[in-house]
Amino acid sequence: MPPDTRFLDGMKSGNLQTLVNGITHASFCCLVFLGAALKTAGAEGAGVSSDPVAASTNAILHPVIIKRPAGTPKVATGLTNFHGQPVMASCSSCHATTTPNIDTRTTADLAQFHQGLKYVHGSLTCLSCHNAKNYDTLRLADSRPVEFTDVMTLCSQCHGSQRRDYNMGLHGGMIGHWDLTKGGRTRNTCINCHDPHAPAFPLVMPVFPPRDRISVPKQPSAKPPNH
Amino acid sequence: MNTTTTDPQESKGLSRRTALKGVGAMLGVAAFAKAIAPLTEWTRDISAEEFVQKHYKELTPIDLQIILSRLEKDTKEQYGADVTIKDHKPQEGVKFGYALNLSVCNGCRKCAEACHIENNHDRPSNQSYIRVFEMSKGSMDMEKGNAHYDHPVPQPDKFYMPVQCQQCEHPPCVDVCPVEATWKEPDGIVVVDYNWCIGCRYCEAACPYHARRFNWTKPVIPANEINPTQSYLSNRIRPQGVMEKCHFCLHRTRNGRLPACLEACPTGARVFGNLLDPKSEVRQVLAHKRVFVLKEELGLKPQFFYFFDV
Amino acid sequence: MNLSTPDTTPTPASVAHWRNYPRFLWNALLDSVEGNWVFYVWMTFLTAIFLVGANAWAVQVRDGMHLTNMSDHVSWALYIANFTFLVGLAAGGVMMVIPSYLYHDEEMHDIVLIGELLAIAAIIMALMFVVCDLGRPDRFWHLIPGLGRFNFPVSMLTWDVIVLNGYLLINLHICGYLLYMRFLGRKPNPKWYVPFVFLSIIWAISIHTVTAFLYCGLGSRPFWNTALLAPRFLTSAFVSGPAFIIIAIQVIRRAIGGKFGDGPIRTLVNIMRVTILINLLMVASEVFVEFYTGGTHTSAAHYLYFGLHGHNALVPWIWSSVAMTVIAAILLLNPKVFSRSWMMNLACVLAFIGIWIEKGMGMVIPGFVPSVLHEVVEYTPSLLEWKIMAGIWALGLMIYTLSIKIAINVFRRSPLAAKAQGGTTDEQPLAS
Repeated sequence: MPPDTRFLDGMKSGNLQTLVNGITHASFCCLVFLGAALKTAGAEGAGVSSDPVAASTNAILHPVIIKRPAGTPKVATGLTNFHGQPVMASCSSCHATTTPNIDTRTTADLAQFHQGLKYVHGSLTCLSCHNAKNYDTLRLADSRPVEFTDVMTLCSQCHGSQRRDYNMGLHGGMIGHWDLTKGGRTRNTCINCHDPHAPAFPLVMPVFPPRDRISVPKQPSAKPPNH
Repeated sequence: MNTTTTDPQESKGLSRRTALKGVGAMLGVAAFAKAIAPLTEWTRDISAEEFVQKHYKELTPIDLQIILSRLEKDTKEQYGADVTIKDHKPQEGVKFGYALNLSVCNGCRKCAEACHIENNHDRPSNQSYIRVFEMSKGSMDMEKGNAHYDHPVPQPDKFYMPVQCQQCEHPPCVDVCPVEATWKEPDGIVVVDYNWCIGCRYCEAACPYHARRFNWTKPVIPANEINPTQSYLSNRIRPQGVMEKCHFCLHRTRNGRLPACLEACPTGARVFGNLLDPKSEVRQVLAHKRVFVLKEELGLKPQFFYFFDV
Repeated sequence: MNLSTPDTTPTPASVAHWRNYPRFLWNALLDSVEGNWVFYVWMTFLTAIFLVGANAWAVQVRDGMHLTNMSDHVSWALYIANFTFLVGLAAGGVMMVIPSYLYHDEEMHDIVLIGELLAIAAIIMALMFVVCDLGRPDRFWHLIPGLGRFNFPVSMLTWDVIVLNGYLLINLHICGYLLYMRFLGRKPNPKWYVPFVFLSIIWAISIHTVTAFLYCGLGSRPFWNTALLAPRFLTSAFVSGPAFIIIAIQVIRRAIGGKFGDGPIRTLVNIMRVTILINLLMVASEVFVEFYTGGTHTSAAHYLYFGLHGHNALVPWIWSSVAMTVIAAILLLNPKVFSRSWMMNLACVLAFIGIWIEKGMGMVIPGFVPSVLHEVVEYTPSLLEWKIMAGIWALGLMIYTLSIKIAINVFRRSPLAAKAQGGTTDEQPLAS
């Protein structure tokens, strides 16, 4: 599926409702915790950042909310039910009856279903991450299953340096407060910005071109000087 | 007492010459009054209280409250918007630092746009405190940088470097201001008292980072676009003819919130926090990343740090 | 004003200054509106230009400085360029004073006022240019120590405020005192002006050094951040000052029909011969250091002399300036320059304009191009800026014309002048 920029818009505007609307494979769920010092364990399911201030001051800290996916994503079948709502199918509703193919690694091999899926994620096979034994979960490198809500753990296995930065608050951005004694903050999971099937950040057109002198009326597009 | 003329008509009273001179003088005075008439239109916008207003550091709390109310009223009259202007004081034990990840910034300029909106900048001029440069990979030479790129970003052979006020430890702008209209606050932010600045633009000449902006005209903002949460030293609508600069969104950050540019960044390239707190995110950057500052050789000790991911 | 002749006038019992000084001022006022048709045409012309400039400034104050072509990249331009040049002219105006007083040049004494009055007019113009450059001229009082907040001694602008106003006061005192004494028919008491004259010599050096320090103290602008800037300013001031005075002496001679000033002109030409060469040497030194070293810091010099990335608005200006100064130097060094006044006058005019370009647009603008973030945003003055500049120059010329006129009239009517010329006048002594 193409990356969903509504994540980015939702994150930018802080409007939680925007995130929730019409998202198929990631709905909003919060994991809230309060309290004093805590450490991050690399392999644990709860992928939330540490609270640096709390360790030293024991002050009451506001929550850090991480926008994790709600659970197993559902796929639209294209049908609608009696009430007009779209009929969604869970992964296992089809995959319980199909034979897993551990060699599938391109979308050309998925011609019959999963059409429109863009896949650019190295040379990984689909089943490197998806769990052949239970398609409603994902799998870690050692084939242990991991829930969709804990997808950050899966990403972190290969992208450890980014996860390390994330733990320090240096990756993934945030909205809210730098001072957690004054208010909370909201942070992303990996898939809020990176589509897991094509994680490279998309090209965007830059906004808001600079102007060099205001005594001249605005030009329609700023031409770069001939450097 | 001798007069300079030997005109025999002089003794008979007003001479023709003197009369002509008198008429000429009156015409001259009238012409002068007409010439500088635009000044009377300008003085309509300036009140007597504003003229005699003291420097921010000399204001008592009551003075300040009166001034804030007056400014709110003026904004309502001139821009048609209801705003609240407060005065946010620096917090103890806080020294702000900002870090920017050059491996991650994609040059979208959403930070510049957010600054424009948050800080009630003049709309027609697209004013912002942030300027983003497209730089060639492998070179830090700003001579080759380009702020006017207009193509999809990020380009594969480029990296992107936003530049804004570095809140230097030894700010040259503070040194050169003849009236002390700009100074460094205890929490590190270099601020401007917009009602004290005389608009000489010496600070703009002195700043090595192009951080200072001048109000070449009275800001033009539609009422519905005005950010109503304002502060005296930060994002209230500035008058014509005074300097302004990035203030790390002190109306937000002194309440513990993140600055607008950071929240707008879609790639998470910006990191902000308290340099005095060893566990803060910005201190993590300084501890674990390869950090550099711009124009370090000038010795100004900027508090804005650039880093690349390992 | 002759140091060697003591004061021989018997002092009257009391000189009622409270009565005489207003008379002196009133006489001056009457003098300033009396003259021949050339005078009236000249003054009306200047008044018209001044009114255009005043109106332009009023519009600028009301509508904002976006009417100039300045920007956040080039934030100082025509006004500050003129300010810098005029501070130099004011310093150079006092150049005559040095040979007159330090070397007892008798002939120079009588017309040293021409230079000092130039200093007054130039300083007033310089201060007006600063006021026109301010975004908020109504907040001028913030600069007054005690009333406002004066960032002395850290900010060089505060030093500039002090030295420029001090220089104005010193010269007003010297000229006012000498003229008033002449008006009273008394010999000036050296105690009341000679210390100030020596002070003004030192102060003249300081006004231009402080103005240079404004620029060369800024580490953000490598084009300015050179130790040579203050010496360059002083040398070019001592080219432009004498150039103006040489022309002024000839104009005054023609206006009042006297024959004087040949000796002083010769002295001034000799001064210019030296200073114009030193100035050229300093320019050559700057050019060598910039272009031999190379690197990014020389982009500004590159922009000025050869253009940068296709932007070359200043290139014709600076090369004209170089050509003018070189030609002026060649003309001045020619031995025939004393007998052929066209040669001398041409050299003076070329030197004056050449220095104006070099110190004004050729120094201020390249400091901003490229900007500190290495962006090139060019600048050419807008019509409004030209109007204001013309208006202030017109006012300065008016002040200078009037002050010279008043000085001449005071001299002519002074009993001392009558005695010196050996004739009689039908005018009474003015002291009572």
